[in-house]
Amino acid sequence: MIRRSTWWAAAAGLLLAGPAAAQPAALPPPYQGAYQPHGVDEIGLWHEADEEERQLAASPLRIRDERLTGYVTSVLCATVGDDRCGSVRVYVIRAPMFNASMTPNGTMRVYSGLLLRLRNEAELATVLGHEFGHYERRHTLAAFKERRSGTDAVAWMALLTSLGASYQTMQNFQNFQLAVYGGFFRHGRDQEREADKLGIAYLNRSSLRPQSATVVWQHMMAEAEASASAKGLKKPNFRYIAFAASHPPYAERAAYLAELAAPDGADRDDGTERYRAALAPFLAQFLDDQIKLNDFGASEYLIQNLATAGWTATLWLKRGDLYRTRGAPRDLAAAADFYAHAVQLDPTLAEAHRGLGLSLMKTGRPSEAVAPLQTYLRLRPDAVDAGMIQTIIPGGPQ
Amino acid sequence: MKGLFWAFLLAAGLTLVVGNPAQAQERSATRQGFELAPNSGKKILVFRPSISVGAQSTGGLFEPNGDWTDKARTNLQAALEKAQASLGNAVIAAPEAYGDDAQTLQEHLQLFAAVSDAVIKYQFFVGNRLPTKKRDNKHAVFDWSLGKGVADLPGAKDADYGLFLFTRDAYGSTGRKVLQVLAAFGPGLAVKSGQHEGYAGLVDLRTGDLLWLNADAAMGGDVRDAEGSEKRIHQLLEDFPGSTPPKAQPQGPAQAKP
Amino acid sequence: MTRHRTLRRMLAFAAIAALPLPANAHKLAEKGTPVTIADSTLSVTPTRDWNRLSGRIGAHAERWTLDGEQLNDVTFYAGVAPGEPLLRERSKKKDPLPKFRQDMLLAEVPELLERTYRTGRDARDFQLSGAAPGKFLGRDGVTFAYQVTDSEGLIRKGEARAAAVNGKLYLVTFDAPRLHYFDQVVDDARALMGSATL
Repeated sequence: MIRRSTWWAAAAGLLLAGPAAAQPAALPPPYQGAYQPHGVDEIGLWHEADEEERQLAASPLRIRDERLTGYVTSVLCATVGDDRCGSVRVYVIRAPMFNASMTPNGTMRVYSGLLLRLRNEAELATVLGHEFGHYERRHTLAAFKERRSGTDAVAWMALLTSLGASYQTMQNFQNFQLAVYGGFFRHGRDQEREADKLGIAYLNRSSLRPQSATVVWQHMMAEAEASASAKGLKKPNFRYIAFAASHPPYAERAAYLAELAAPDGADRDDGTERYRAALAPFLAQFLDDQIKLNDFGASEYLIQNLATAGWTATLWLKRGDLYRTRGAPRDLAAAADFYAHAVQLDPTLAEAHRGLGLSLMKTGRPSEAVAPLQTYLRLRPDAVDAGMIQTIIPGGPQ
Repeated sequence: MKGLFWAFLLAAGLTLVVGNPAQAQERSATRQGFELAPNSGKKILVFRPSISVGAQSTGGLFEPNGDWTDKARTNLQAALEKAQASLGNAVIAAPEAYGDDAQTLQEHLQLFAAVSDAVIKYQFFVGNRLPTKKRDNKHAVFDWSLGKGVADLPGAKDADYGLFLFTRDAYGSTGRKVLQVLAAFGPGLAVKSGQHEGYAGLVDLRTGDLLWLNADAAMGGDVRDAEGSEKRIHQLLEDFPGSTPPKAQPQGPAQAKP
Repeated sequence: MTRHRTLRRMLAFAAIAALPLPANAHKLAEKGTPVTIADSTLSVTPTRDWNRLSGRIGAHAERWTLDGEQLNDVTFYAGVAPGEPLLRERSKKKDPLPKFRQDMLLAEVPELLERTYRTGRDARDFQLSGAAPGKFLGRDGVTFAYQVTDSEGLIRKGEARAAAVNGKLYLVTFDAPRLHYFDQVVDDARALMGSATL
């Protein structure tokens, strides 16, 4: 599916290119071969991850679709190389958040909310490469060791403090504790930076367009801004690092990823068409999971973003649902309009007729609502809510 | 921010000593009328036990240990077989489940966790008991179930009872033990070294009824060796129906052990 | 994902051994004795004994159970006014829950519950399996059924009734694991829902 013949050519080209302004990321380290855990801590962490994977494999939240899982795996392999990706098992999880994670034993979890938000294969490769970077650098183990030595120190300090508890020693203890925990979070953020850099290095070497990496974070900022604005919150500060922030701020990530992308990769394919084709069967469900989260700004942003490739009946339908369920009078008028677009593009889309009828009913146009509601029942005589819809058709059930 | 500090302290297993009276809490209960007569030759199907063994760092962090966990899995299985053999019961390990079977099993394990959660919250914590359950208890009724669906679980056909086991052990590291000893000299700070918790539940594989449940946050026996594992199994199966000569049941919440 | 997480929390709690006495113990709702729900005008007459859980999950909500809310949960939402959510909001500003609206159609009430479960209870899947007109509180209302999967992966079935009276929403739901518990209690739950009056 993905051409890998250009792989090494691209990597070689990168060495020669050497742009003056920005320095692309260094090459990833040579592959070390299938890795086995060493030492008590690492073997222990693998063991826990193995048990979790057993449960994950049988979880009802796992999306058991061979094609989708196979597609995500193929993008991972195209990014990090076939030798590396052989040690990974990919699980697609039904969860509407932007997230992916990888455990030390090679279990890669990819959330449906992540797939909904990305626009192409290169962006997916950015995230998968990042997670793989954590795995290759064995970050879980390092974070665990850091946490252990830190909490050990805090425990000793707590003891000393309790032996001579005065206001001042309590104060000192709290400052010390704050410094130690601040250190964990800082360490965590440094790991994220390292994983980002490794991720972009894989991407530079792949056949995909590395300039897409920065776009992931640009979109995350825009979505967060849209979400905050619709909730009446002030614009998020994308440069500020909160004490307990697990990741570097979006703006920083967007900036260094742009800088580290190999300039000669800019003309490469970003795999938009392949990505859309793979996601198509799941788009309606993933979008539905999102619009029901009561996050109007983010949902509207995502729909608009998906629509840059052209409005489809599904996008109009989901946008109609989003506005109708928020339900202000102007939302209902807008919803009726959106459903009408959906019906125009796909007259057989039953839910769009339903939404249109309900919206018209609520905007004080019950006579216009009759036809679409009847169409809904004709298209879906066995709809689960057929009985309920019957009752709101003026004149009542026949 | 203050909440954060407390969270950290708690996470490290350090608690300030306060004069709160501990609330009455029970650890096990048995379904009314359930008895497992010695040498009745019953077969007990053991669902893959959830076993996790590690160390506790000075700061209270759980450090999983693969080698200890593997040893504990083997030791506990052997100890369980031995204990049940002495009671005249046979122990069978549940077969590995695949595909739809694995999902059905997982759903039942989830249900068992939800039932155990409810029993601990609304039965073992006496002060939090549900009024209808309080009345049931007066008549020694302990009535919870997983339903008849358990009969279709892999391996259930060949057994009479199903046993769920969960243990988590964190052995205090040297640093933790030293911290504990030193803290004992000072005022106001209690350090617990090691954490040993477990629960076990027995289910009738025909009806799904929960026959017996034991949940304990402070268990003994070192699961890393054979002898300790036997002790642990004894404790986990304490009050296991048929494990002791029948004693006269007193009045009140008769079957529940304070 | 980890089914033992909750239990571990409970056991850890037990280890600290300082569980405060509940401020209000759970109350008994006796068979045949009318009970007023959540200080509203809604009352029910149970056909068997139930437990009324202490602690409010919403301004107008009251939870009843037989074995614990994990296993069977009848929740009454008694008189939700326009602009109000069903459950208490964790953060009004940052994590707002969906609100009941004056112009909401009865056919849209299942959507309100679904959106509330997805936002307030982290439900990952919610399938409506039926929605039909049904009398509730002596008014024309809606009866609906659903299946919901929580973030831990436990699958529950549910059934609900709702009606709007004087611009306020009255809703009662029954949720229980689809294994065993739903079928075991659904008749009692229906009888309880059916006994509701204003």
